[in-house]
Amino acid sequence: MKITEQCTLMTHASSLLAVSAGGLLTLMILLNSQLGQYSSPLTASWIAHGVGAGFAGVVLLCKYSQRRASVPNNTVNTPIWAYLGGAPGAFTVVLAAITVNSPLGIAGSLSLMLMGQTLFGLICDTRGWMGTPQRCLSLKDIMPVLCILGGSLLIIFSPE
Amino acid sequence: MALFIILALLNGVCIGLSRVINGRLSVSLNAMKASYWNHLIGFIFLSILLFIVNINQEAFYLPQKAPLIAFADGIIGVLFVALNSLVFPKLGATRTTLLVVSGQMMVGVMLTLSGQTLIKMLCNLAGVALILLGIFLNKTQQDKP
Repeated sequence: MKITEQCTLMTHASSLLAVSAGGLLTLMILLNSQLGQYSSPLTASWIAHGVGAGFAGVVLLCKYSQRRASVPNNTVNTPIWAYLGGAPGAFTVVLAAITVNSPLGIAGSLSLMLMGQTLFGLICDTRGWMGTPQRCLSLKDIMPVLCILGGSLLIIFSPE
Repeated sequence: MALFIILALLNGVCIGLSRVINGRLSVSLNAMKASYWNHLIGFIFLSILLFIVNINQEAFYLPQKAPLIAFADGIIGVLFVALNSLVFPKLGATRTTLLVVSGQMMVGVMLTLSGQTLIKMLCNLAGVALILLGIFLNKTQQDKP
């Protein structure tokens, strides 16, 4: 297979994985809200993170014990901040609990969260953070954003 | 009200930020390790928060009566963060976000399909159609040399 074909295949596979991840997220939110009903959003997320850390730890231990020579890590060049991804992730629980119980409600919170995520993603891409190549935005880049945000808003605010 | 709007937008930024940071970590290590660290740091962070919030109250409830399956949200979360961190470096910020949001909304719609009024169902289907159009436009745009 030519390199370009490999790249396209990889992008398609990654895209499919990304969409599946989104589906998993909905499932996770569903289960987490059940936990939250019996305790609180904070407690539910705390348990989820604990269970998750335990599960991931077990998986990593299994993978490590299977291979004698561990996969080479580029740990030397990893900045400390790269380990702290869990902090903003956990903070979203707090913010979500606040905004859902405000006049915004679930629908308003969800739509603003989507917009915040997308705006942040666009800024990241235009500034070339994370090593993704810097690209100036054209209309053709904005169109998918408008479609997906518009579709999401339509779903969130569809009348009962 | 403006405060809540800002907080909700900030929430979105936090989600995006955690994606970027975990994606960066998965480039150095791997996706599962990034997920592990995400959950470990989050657990510590939430432990501190829980301690602060409950310091004056006796009322800290463990969800003992919740259905057992609900405790699997941690496992699904690990898979989610691992997948996210895996694709983020390959697709870039905007595309990853759009695709994850699309998957999120579409599965959300599928879960609520039963027992809907006609108007709601039409709106949902129109929303899904728009989302699929957006994915298609995004693909054709980025596949151009």
